[in-house]
Amino acid sequence: MNARNYQKELAEETNAVDHLNEILKVFDRSGVTPVYGMKFAGVGYKLQTPIIGRVVKRIINGVLHNEGPKRKHIGVDGHFGQVLPIEDASYIIENLAAEPLTLNYCVCRYMCRGEKDARCIIFGVMSEIADKIPRYIPENVKRPMDREETTRYLESFSEEGLVSTIWFHPVPYITAICSCENPDCMGIRMRQDYDIGLLYKAEYVVQLNPDLCEGLGDCVSACQFGALSFSPTKNMVNVDLDKCYGCGNCRNVCQHNALTLVPRNDIKQVAGRY
Amino acid sequence: MIAVRKGKTKITIDYSKCGPHGDTDPRECTKCLRQCDRPVFHLHHVIVNGDNPWDPSYWQVTPIYTSQCTRCMRCVEVCPVNAITVSW
Repeated sequence: MNARNYQKELAEETNAVDHLNEILKVFDRSGVTPVYGMKFAGVGYKLQTPIIGRVVKRIINGVLHNEGPKRKHIGVDGHFGQVLPIEDASYIIENLAAEPLTLNYCVCRYMCRGEKDARCIIFGVMSEIADKIPRYIPENVKRPMDREETTRYLESFSEEGLVSTIWFHPVPYITAICSCENPDCMGIRMRQDYDIGLLYKAEYVVQLNPDLCEGLGDCVSACQFGALSFSPTKNMVNVDLDKCYGCGNCRNVCQHNALTLVPRNDIKQVAGRY
Repeated sequence: MIAVRKGKTKITIDYSKCGPHGDTDPRECTKCLRQCDRPVFHLHHVIVNGDNPWDPSYWQVTPIYTSQCTRCMRCVEVCPVNAITVSW
């Protein structure tokens, strides 16, 4: 939670305006635009190729985490994100995010499903650039919004079962909190299906208290990542910590408070594995 | 997790039937996008010279994540203009 990552000075330092201008102009073409001469279509088959696949994955990860001064503002250079529990996301909106805050249509959902769904809360420099794209500006939503209203929107998305994610644009300048779902979100898909570091797991991981769990199983359908499963023998849920992203959706629906979020680094099995 | 299937799935879309120069506008149809469980298709705009990149008017559907196609053929069935073919 470094407040500096949200400020305008950093945006100027990282040349965020140029970056966002380039990236947003072609954002809904990101699946078909060649990046460094490599086409994204059919990326699954490229990654399955024995040796070439590993090289390709390293190149993609390098591009995504590129912080160097020679960074070109093409494709997705320096654009990756992390899952957040709803408390952290609300805290960021209330205290840290730069004005103006706006709500926009989700580009991923429009690309994958052809549906316009206002889910993405963007702030700072990105809001000003997003004003240029009329097709992603929702109707009947105030622009810009105040912090309270934005938090209310974010909490209503979380109640629907969506996962809050925070995004760099470009790293280390933070510009967006999205409410994502699997598999419509490009970031979740990249991480889940191809193990590309476009999205990182949260700082937390879920822990089950077996004494409190009564086997209602609400949490199983709330998990977007398939980390929970119901065991009829134990009449309890099983938690797969390796798959847990720490979003806290399961904890929000649990009626007996059997699930809690604990810091990831306190659990030896998953410590440091984001 | 990548499901193992023999051979590569090949999905082709006939852009003379659906797309910027066809009869159907994919932005209004979106049937294949909504039917697919693993969203294999992407709806995106096409850059045409002289078009405003901030407000493009030409859109088409392209299969991107073909390795995740489960070969259920629902997109082929649902397409109103029979523009999609899936082969492997």
